[in-house]
Amino acid sequence: MRGRVLVFPLLAAAFAGAVALSLSVGPVPVSFAQLFRALAGGGADGVPGGETAAKVVLTLRLPRALLGGLVGGALSSSGVAFQALLRNPLADPYILGVSGGAAVGAMTASLLLPGDPFLPLPLCAFLGAALAASAVFLLARRRSGISRERLILMGVIVGAFLNALIMMMVALAPPGRIPGAVYWLMGDLSLGTPGRVGLLAPYVAVGAALLVLLSRGMDLLLLGDEAAFQSGLPVERVKTAVYLTASLLAGSVVAVSGLIGFVGLIVPHGARSIVGSGHRRLLPAAFLLGATFLIGADVLARIAGPSGELPVGAVTALSGAPFFLYLLRRNGGKP
Amino acid sequence: MSVDPLTANNLTFRYGDRDVLAGVDLRVGEGEVAVLLGPNGAGKSTLLKIFSGLLHPHAGEANVLGLAPSAYGRREMARILSVVGQDPPLDFPMSVEEYVMLGRFPHHGFFGQATAGDRQEVDRALSMTSLHELRARGLGELSAGERQRAAVARAIAQGARVMLLDEPTAFLDIYHRVAFFEIVTRLAGTFGVTALIASHDLSLCAEYGERIVLVAGGKVQAAGRPEEVITEEHILAAFGVRVVCDRNPATGTVRVTPVRREAGNTIRPGEREDR
Repeated sequence: MRGRVLVFPLLAAAFAGAVALSLSVGPVPVSFAQLFRALAGGGADGVPGGETAAKVVLTLRLPRALLGGLVGGALSSSGVAFQALLRNPLADPYILGVSGGAAVGAMTASLLLPGDPFLPLPLCAFLGAALAASAVFLLARRRSGISRERLILMGVIVGAFLNALIMMMVALAPPGRIPGAVYWLMGDLSLGTPGRVGLLAPYVAVGAALLVLLSRGMDLLLLGDEAAFQSGLPVERVKTAVYLTASLLAGSVVAVSGLIGFVGLIVPHGARSIVGSGHRRLLPAAFLLGATFLIGADVLARIAGPSGELPVGAVTALSGAPFFLYLLRRNGGKP
Repeated sequence: MSVDPLTANNLTFRYGDRDVLAGVDLRVGEGEVAVLLGPNGAGKSTLLKIFSGLLHPHAGEANVLGLAPSAYGRREMARILSVVGQDPPLDFPMSVEEYVMLGRFPHHGFFGQATAGDRQEVDRALSMTSLHELRARGLGELSAGERQRAAVARAIAQGARVMLLDEPTAFLDIYHRVAFFEIVTRLAGTFGVTALIASHDLSLCAEYGERIVLVAGGKVQAAGRPEEVITEEHILAAFGVRVVCDRNPATGTVRVTPVRREAGNTIRPGEREDR
């Protein structure tokens, strides 16, 4: 296969480039020299303006870039998993209503739990995500199986219902109880603090690793349930594991960064066209590409707004919605 | 004397209140190529699905190497028995080689890397099905016949002693039908694989099948050598179609030719036993 060996170094280089861009772009310009000095821990000496630059880079931009990477990677992996699970190229945690379920879970937790609910937030979001996903599957299921169109329809309906719940919560919440809720709902990476990155990282690491372990099972799922079973796969157990893991990834990410749509839809398609459909290579490729994509989208969101930044979710949706339409038109006629 | 690979005793299965299988008895011996014949809806696919463990009988038993399919672990079962389905995947997003490699899953499992042995088995399966040159192609770029061969190759790569094939030649032209039966016969002759094939191809089954099982109305109507089972009376009773059974002048096996209605065919609505 052409360029088989070079693909991953190239993806990693693109990721590193996106991070470097994200660290240097913003209201306080940071040159690459200052950037290297700051990252090397050298601080101020020798580079003019180095002290401020180092501070900006290390306390603001680096956590934000890392958060973007974790979120983009997790959403893309989750998208790959849902697409394999449902054998449906249009599946994505956002479209399936899974992200909405996670948002409801996270908001419920921050409204009801006493004290600082920050720690249990990802878990509650995971529960919300898992509940929303099973609701969509059950509603879309017919005796003949789950059709592509029905699944999306049910995802939209469940998503709309969850959105209504979210709006109610925002409207009825005591002032200040859900700080920054509106921005968060539009998908926001500005909450990237070292603490949040540290909180999210284990969830994403565990989820991504579990999916890689399940990758061969996901390959077999593409054969269809009956053929996968006859090929020796414990189909129901693998499907449950994939579904829970994908919900964990999407849910924990939503708890920290809100609703960022379409990353889980676009990136897997891009990754597939680069490394093919075998999940052993597809998952890591989608993770790297998703991290790069979201960090890039965040850079765009930061510089595109005339007065201050745009929510990154708006940028991903701007590119994602037309892409979804394209996929729907291309695949819509087929079961 | 070893255990027969496939046996069924008084096997009964219902969809709703319709008896699809009503007491089927069956035995396929080691290395035998057996063919299941019968009209649409006679329960051939159901029988194969019970053997592969997808469906569970309501009464009676179906055994693979003397044990019920549910008694095996999934991967253990897949190392013993492989299945070639009715419809090979149309838009499977992998290359032929990757697809055939999926057949090695029961051997290397979730975590094991594909070993040199695995690759050797895939090579063998590809060359037995003449797919060597097409190994890097996407499955979607293949013709129907090539896709069907890929499905067979995946089953061969699975390395099982027993193979179930559900109407594998349904979409193939005569060249590929013959090629397909040649492959199965070679598997049985060279590697001692036992094959149970559900098919509608009367003459080809007579040519290649060592043992024919005629199923209709949920029961085995006849079983035995092709010339014993494929007779004008049996075909008329099972399918409701008048045929002429004579001998193939080249090989001496049974040859089946349908008789046109004006020439005395007695087909009548409701005469068939399915549905």
